[in-house]
Amino acid sequence: MHFALPPRKTSQPPPYARGNTSVSATYRRRKQLQIVSYAVLGLLTLYLCFRLVLFATSAGSHEDGPSAIEGHQDVVLVTVFDNDAMSEDYIKIVKANRDDYAARHGYKNFYTNTSAYSKLVHPSPTSWSIVPALRHALTEHSSSTFFWSLSADAFITNPSLSLETHILQPLESLMLKDVPVVPPDSVIHTFSHLRPSRTHLILSQDADNIAHTSFILRNTPFTPTTTDNWAHYFLDAWFDPLYRAYLFQKAENHALEHLVQWHPTILAKLVLIEQRRLNSYNFASPPVRDQVTGQTQTYDSMWQEGDLVVNLKGCRESDKRDCEKEMRHYYAKWAQEVERLDGKKPKHHVKPPKPKQQQVEDSKEKAGALN
Amino acid sequence: MSRTPSPLPNGSWTAQGRLDGNSMPNGVHAAPNLYSNNDDQWAAAKAKSAHVRGYPSIQTKNEGFFQRSRRKISSTLPVFSPYTPLSASWKDPEKLGRSRWYPRGGGTLSKVKTFVGNVLRKFKFLFIILSIVTLITVVMSKTSVLVRIRGNSHLGGGSKFVIVLGANEGGGVMEWKGPREWAIERDSIKNKRKYADRWGYQLEITDMSTKKRYAHEWRESWEKVDLVRNAMARYPDAEWFWWLDLNTFIMEPSISLQSHIFNNLAKTVYRDINVYNPLNITHPPQTEFLDPVARSATGDNRTSSIDIIIPQDCSGFNLGSFFLRRSPFTDRLLDMWWDPVLYEQKHMEWEHKEQDALEHLYASQPYMRTHFAFIEQRKINSFPPGACAVEPKEGEVVEEGKTLLDPRFHYREQDRDFVVNMAGCEWGRDCWAEMYMYRELSNKLNRSWWEKFKDSLSGAWRSVKTSVSREKKNDVKQAPG
Repeated sequence: MHFALPPRKTSQPPPYARGNTSVSATYRRRKQLQIVSYAVLGLLTLYLCFRLVLFATSAGSHEDGPSAIEGHQDVVLVTVFDNDAMSEDYIKIVKANRDDYAARHGYKNFYTNTSAYSKLVHPSPTSWSIVPALRHALTEHSSSTFFWSLSADAFITNPSLSLETHILQPLESLMLKDVPVVPPDSVIHTFSHLRPSRTHLILSQDADNIAHTSFILRNTPFTPTTTDNWAHYFLDAWFDPLYRAYLFQKAENHALEHLVQWHPTILAKLVLIEQRRLNSYNFASPPVRDQVTGQTQTYDSMWQEGDLVVNLKGCRESDKRDCEKEMRHYYAKWAQEVERLDGKKPKHHVKPPKPKQQQVEDSKEKAGALN
Repeated sequence: MSRTPSPLPNGSWTAQGRLDGNSMPNGVHAAPNLYSNNDDQWAAAKAKSAHVRGYPSIQTKNEGFFQRSRRKISSTLPVFSPYTPLSASWKDPEKLGRSRWYPRGGGTLSKVKTFVGNVLRKFKFLFIILSIVTLITVVMSKTSVLVRIRGNSHLGGGSKFVIVLGANEGGGVMEWKGPREWAIERDSIKNKRKYADRWGYQLEITDMSTKKRYAHEWRESWEKVDLVRNAMARYPDAEWFWWLDLNTFIMEPSISLQSHIFNNLAKTVYRDINVYNPLNITHPPQTEFLDPVARSATGDNRTSSIDIIIPQDCSGFNLGSFFLRRSPFTDRLLDMWWDPVLYEQKHMEWEHKEQDALEHLYASQPYMRTHFAFIEQRKINSFPPGACAVEPKEGEVVEEGKTLLDPRFHYREQDRDFVVNMAGCEWGRDCWAEMYMYRELSNKLNRSWWEKFKDSLSGAWRSVKTSVSREKKNDVKQAPG
């Protein structure tokens, strides 16, 4: 093609026409570029915000969660009686005490007996019954969230304290972090970054062992998406037939200590708290002299006025002690406390103790039966 | 347009006729010719053009590169038409020695060239699209794009699977590895590597050499637990971990794990061990205090609770090839599996070490069962005839050279089993021979159609050849006879 002649110009050329057209063209182009860059930047920011929010939510859900256990909890008290070793009166006293406590705070009681589990536990010591009993309680009250396993030889002395206000809600401040998990000097320490919301087992230590006579186990009720339950895992592992056959010196107590020291999946869910929060004894632990450092360690386990629980631990093992007598002592105190709280005596009436002579014989017989 | 020259006194009027005929396509070209023989006019025109030369005679609007250069570009394009566009009525004068104009001189070759050029120009969009498609196909097949797509967690999901291969078994302090052991290791690793690469899976080759750490605790071969745990830490985004012993061979690399098992998990695995129960484990547990899920034979019936998939051979669980899923349960299982109190009591009885320990956990802890699933052995763990060997029944006659096979355990070529596990080949069988045999079989079964065609041809040729030579021999034999 040939362009011989230039296109005809207008007769009245606009002033500065050339400059005008080029400026408008570059201006237009700049404007377009601006719009495109704004769009790109906007999309980028949106994407980043989206990612950030996603990250924050996912991290929050699996890393932190709520730090405390809030609100009213569905608590079940699990008590395993031993009909062979405990008198009817004794059982009545304990039941009266726990029924009152449960009614006061809206908890439930799960009473059971070692005889129900003798087939499972045999030939190991009957003290193992606590494990299948808890499994049983979890099945019976599958929607409850906390299970307080309290020895039948323990007595709730301060009925006004609820588990939530006394232990569960302030757990963050109560938990002992980075301490030897088994006293006095296990190399395995409790985790230092525990969170109450991820806790499934609340225990305490006495001078010698993990005090498993009073502990709180958390249940995970089945949901439509999962039926996985740490509590089931823990109880089944604890009750492994080879643990029972191993002849641990203190049976289930040592098996538990073995579990928490060797299995991080259990240690990670465990929280230790001060013994007197949950499990005061009615005797003082003698100070222990450390072989290596030479220091004497005292251990604060002696029950004091205002403690939640008094535990008559070991009252069945020695002839000098009398469980029922010790229990009646605290029962009297408790009756006064209830009267002060409610303005009337507890409903359950317990007969006065039987003559002394018979009691001693009984306890001897029981001790024989135990051995 | 036309600058008609004024009739000048000494001007040549011969040119007038040409102008009248309007045969000249362009007046501008004509003008110089007009004045060529007139010096005065020429000088005047020269002066005029000199006056103008300081500035471009054509002032286009300066509207950017394309506008400016469009004319340049278009004027350089070739013009095929013999007609100039300005005069449609112009006709080629018939002259001797000249014929119609043809592009490139009008030879046969140039005709073809022109034709091809025309076709190319007409269908250029089709050609562009075709070439893009070809390019993408070539790039995808030559590079690892396909593998990456298969491996992507959103597209193919291959990166969610990790193959954990226990290599270097028995190496280290216990014995010296010979060339056969090395060959087995090389073949086995190559086989898994190829499979993993093909489907975008991850391959973790672990060192199973007997270490002091395990040896002094009576724990040879217990590393499995630790190694799986390490693999889980190394691939934090993977979901399923497939443990494979060294003496295994993936026979059908064209089958992906997803299509073979995981896309239809509910149907490929079974929860109730009573389907096949060589250990005679009482299932479901009979204790009445347990929760309903633990007491159910099939757990909670959801695939989401399946965290371990195990094949069972003739004597119980087989851990030569099994799956573990990353989950809280798996953490707990791997944790309990290692328990020293269990092992201390049983290490003399548990011949199969970690396998027996797992069986113990399954049998004695009801919670464990709720996350177990079993898979038919031949889906992921077929045996050669030597393992789980079948004893002939009384009165049964076995043909010479044939072995009895159990359809539950043993590899069958017709069924194209997925994986072969030469379990126990180190106890009195030849691991390398078995590995070699299965490798060749796998290659043979997975030939391409072209290779199959070639092989059938050569087979036919060979048979013809042998028959011919036999006939010849027969002839030779007969001739003296």
